[in-house]
Amino acid sequence: MIKLKVNGAVRELDVDPEMPLLWALRDVLGLTGTKYGCGQAQCGACSVHLDGEVVRSCVTPMRRAAGREVTTIEGLSVDGNHPLQRAWCELAVPQCGFCQAGQIMTAAALLASNPKPSNTDIERSLAGNLCRCGTYLRIRAAVKKAAGIPEE
Amino acid sequence: MCHRREARGRCALVIALVALACGCTRRESGEARKGGGSPPQVPAGELRSAESFAQIGDRAERSRALFAEASRVFLHPRCVNCHPDGDTPHQGMDQSVHDPPVVRGPDDKGVVGVQCTSCHQDHNLELARVPGAPQWHLAPRVMAWVGKSPHAICEQMKDPARNGGRALAQIVEHNAHDPLVAWGWNPGHDREPAPGTQEQLGRLIAAWVESGAECPSEGARP
Amino acid sequence: MAITRRRFLEYSGGLALAFAAGRVLAVDPRNGKPKRTTSGFDPNVFVHVATDGLVTLVCARSEMGQGVRSTIPALLADELGADMARVTIVQGDADKRYGDQKTDGSTSIRNGYEPLRKAGATARTMLVAAAARRWKVSPASCVARDHAVFHGKRSLGFGELAAEAAKLPVPPPEEVKLRPRSEMRHVFKDLPLIDGPAIVAGKATFGADVRLPGMLVAVIARPPVVGGRVSRYDAKRALAIPGVKRVVEIPTPKPPYAFQPWGGVAVLADNTWAALRGRAALEIEWDEGPNAEYDSDRYRITLSESVHAPGSLARNTGDVDAALSKAARVIEAEYHVPHLAHVTMEPPAAIARVEGGKCEVWAPTQYPQEARTQAATTTGLSENDVQVHVTFLGGAFGRKAKSDFVAEAAFLAREAGRPVRIQWAREDDVRHDYYNAVNTQLLTAGLDERGKVVAWRLRTAFPPISSTFKPTNQPSADDLQQGITDRPLAVPNVRAETCRADAHVRIGWLRSVYNIFHAFSVNSFIDEIAHARGEDPRAVQLEILGPDRIVTLAELGVDKLSNYGDSLEKHPIDTGRWRRVIERATEMARWDKRRADGRVLGLAAHRSFLTYVAVVVSVVRNGAGRIAVDEAWLATDAGTVVNLERARAQMEGAVIFGMSHTFHGGATMKRGVTEQSSFADYRLVRIGEAPRRIHVDIATSDGPPGGIGEPGVPPVAPAIANAVFVLTGQRIRELPLTLRLVT
Repeated sequence: MIKLKVNGAVRELDVDPEMPLLWALRDVLGLTGTKYGCGQAQCGACSVHLDGEVVRSCVTPMRRAAGREVTTIEGLSVDGNHPLQRAWCELAVPQCGFCQAGQIMTAAALLASNPKPSNTDIERSLAGNLCRCGTYLRIRAAVKKAAGIPEE
Repeated sequence: MCHRREARGRCALVIALVALACGCTRRESGEARKGGGSPPQVPAGELRSAESFAQIGDRAERSRALFAEASRVFLHPRCVNCHPDGDTPHQGMDQSVHDPPVVRGPDDKGVVGVQCTSCHQDHNLELARVPGAPQWHLAPRVMAWVGKSPHAICEQMKDPARNGGRALAQIVEHNAHDPLVAWGWNPGHDREPAPGTQEQLGRLIAAWVESGAECPSEGARP
Repeated sequence: MAITRRRFLEYSGGLALAFAAGRVLAVDPRNGKPKRTTSGFDPNVFVHVATDGLVTLVCARSEMGQGVRSTIPALLADELGADMARVTIVQGDADKRYGDQKTDGSTSIRNGYEPLRKAGATARTMLVAAAARRWKVSPASCVARDHAVFHGKRSLGFGELAAEAAKLPVPPPEEVKLRPRSEMRHVFKDLPLIDGPAIVAGKATFGADVRLPGMLVAVIARPPVVGGRVSRYDAKRALAIPGVKRVVEIPTPKPPYAFQPWGGVAVLADNTWAALRGRAALEIEWDEGPNAEYDSDRYRITLSESVHAPGSLARNTGDVDAALSKAARVIEAEYHVPHLAHVTMEPPAAIARVEGGKCEVWAPTQYPQEARTQAATTTGLSENDVQVHVTFLGGAFGRKAKSDFVAEAAFLAREAGRPVRIQWAREDDVRHDYYNAVNTQLLTAGLDERGKVVAWRLRTAFPPISSTFKPTNQPSADDLQQGITDRPLAVPNVRAETCRADAHVRIGWLRSVYNIFHAFSVNSFIDEIAHARGEDPRAVQLEILGPDRIVTLAELGVDKLSNYGDSLEKHPIDTGRWRRVIERATEMARWDKRRADGRVLGLAAHRSFLTYVAVVVSVVRNGAGRIAVDEAWLATDAGTVVNLERARAQMEGAVIFGMSHTFHGGATMKRGVTEQSSFADYRLVRIGEAPRRIHVDIATSDGPPGGIGEPGVPPVAPAIANAVFVLTGQRIRELPLTLRLVT
């Protein structure tokens, strides 16, 4: 049995300790906001926080999460009110939307440690998050908007 | 002939070139050898054992030869890829730039969102093809090995100011037993491992320390 | 504009039936499912007005990021006069009554615009009639707005009128008047992104997000080579993995493959991880089949040989051979674009449940009705017993129009006797795609002494999409109107030929399809001609485009043009519009000052899906010495644009999308197997490669709507290639540019 906190709630899961956190979240806990895009830590769609740090849940084994706190997109805020979520809506960032939970989770960790990131900081931190629809410019703008950085 | 220390490096290069030109096997420095020469070469994936260097009678020469052999591990892409000079790790036998693009970060562990351990776990993942070992991170910049000679690596490894404050005994321990170092021989998926085994490297380094931890000359290559 | 009853029905299919049937497609707001209702008002399948005033609007096109769910309901609501705050939007299931639900070809608005407005207007007309009756006034003296009907100061809410309106006869479309554009309050401007809040909270349901009790997850080991099959397999180790329940062989499809499941061996487990592990533990021997020698490098040579010999005539004016032989100078170039893979962020996934003689499917499908047919065929049930619900699509670009993955889900659900989610892994998606056709072209131009182009011959070879559906290697006329037969050229002698190309993989359609390579070649070639003449590429683009005019079939040298399914009367090829987007894009980019500013720019322009787009890009060498696009300008004329905001987003996205195949390339095959299998070797543009700025200009127009989703893509690759030539002096005639670029 693996015991961990997910979005603030203690959960005990009877799963293979090598099962990636992604599948425990989606298949066992029904938290489907975190997405499967590649299973190889290449695309970032599965990004969640483990004790506040970004991990690709598709490759993070459950035993690594044991005793720790996981935050998913569903737990980032109550009612979708995180500044990033608001900025994402104000700037109409998403197109198909599939990558956006991962983008937001990664950006949230960035802002938590660097409240005024430069374009370079944003590009470096989000380098692992792919967007096939090509919303990158709006992602960059939304991160800066959420950070209170004025448009150039 | 060259007798003075300062000229030795240059002489070694000249001698090596001359030796190459006449198709002879390369040899360490211009000093006369006492006892036998270097042990015979082994295939690329293997390491010559520490014991086989015992046939080099001169202690200092033996010491240099032991480190030169060990440097075949250090300079193998599996190791040198995470000992870059710049801010990004390398990947693959062709040492191309790591993809997805990642940077060193302030603590050699990557930056927020793309830390090394955001993706790399404590063991190799076969289905996901992501390599892993405990404490996956970049060697600090002072331990950059890309483009360095065995001589330069040796000097760095001996220098407590540049080797993480380690005494020589700890260097032996690190090479022989560190789990991240161990990854070089167990890289997973179909990656080519470093030559030999970690145990062999450990014994080479132990023997090197024991023989005075001499560094190969600048132009020396294994 | 007048609309005939027949034209209206082309889009809306059996809407006449719906008008007669009245109430069938009312929707239960608790779960969005259609239900029979005797309360409320259902003038047609798209609009339901409940007696409490809640208006339900149906979006019957699939949401894949192009914003149909933000646009179609807004269009209906504006025409109706509803307040979006009191509207709930429902995603339409597969249902013939919605008419054509195929969400591709950039058709959702251009084909739906008039019928949808008519649907909203019909509802409005009837509500107004009900109010006018109650007040005993003329309908013409009433106005519908803000969710109510007004007569002077008095008003009656839509809810209050619903029951009475429901009793009125439904007027036929030709008697229903649309509002003047000035009365459409929200559309033709930026519209809000309806699904933004759900997406950013992780609440939008995509294909793999649907969960049913007792559901199994299936992962399939498919034949590595197209046309291959399972020779023998051993499931012992797979079945030993905890969580794995069954191993099932999928029947081998017989060509033509169409949307049949791909064959192979499926592992069914109670969670995805176990299924993936189970598949890895299968031991399978494959019989590789007829395409095992397919090698895309060797095939490139085959295509080149094909275009170096005459082909079948596609268009012809004047006498190209004579003109070439008399030309003062001949320029010739061969271009190549590899197979492209869709690599949607969401790999294909679908859920099916087969029980009690019924089949229910949840799928991110672009073609709900075809998915329904496919599931029916696979399960042996009648279509009436098959229901297909459409989830959000995590990207599509044409991949999810193919319902092979729905057929897999249906097959396995029937086999397992339990609901099944089929989950494609990323490796499956890259390896077993319906790739965009590989293409080689040979362009030959004859110039006279003054450098004017007097002869133009184009030969193109590509395995056509129809090869997936029938044994053929010849493109159809519909294929060729994507950049070959529809391309205006102010050149007296023009000939285009199609040359033979056999298919060795499943060919599909990918966002703008054949336009990708035909725009690449033509725009690169025009640029080459310009540089050969030492002239400004924009000037030569405009010269070859010719004077402002409506291009006739005679000028094109063809008998007919399918024109993307629309008439040339409604959507002519208008070179004035083409010229203006070129001028607008180059004006925005300060084209004339580029040399003085030290900027390197490239230009390309193309008409596709009835919309005109010109792209200018600026390229630089970045800190690492690599070529980067640092800024892009896109000007488009798409006729009437219902949702400016989403149109702008689509154009921005098209630039990034085009950059991926320009810099990172496509799919290659060796020994019949696709070499790429993940984002490590099928690379996409990442955020650090994106330009600093993408400027989009959308022409103001009240002409009929053109396509939005695809037209931004074709000019991107040639604009970049043309800029790269200026930057490096290297003319790269294939994608990805980086393969041949000497750094």
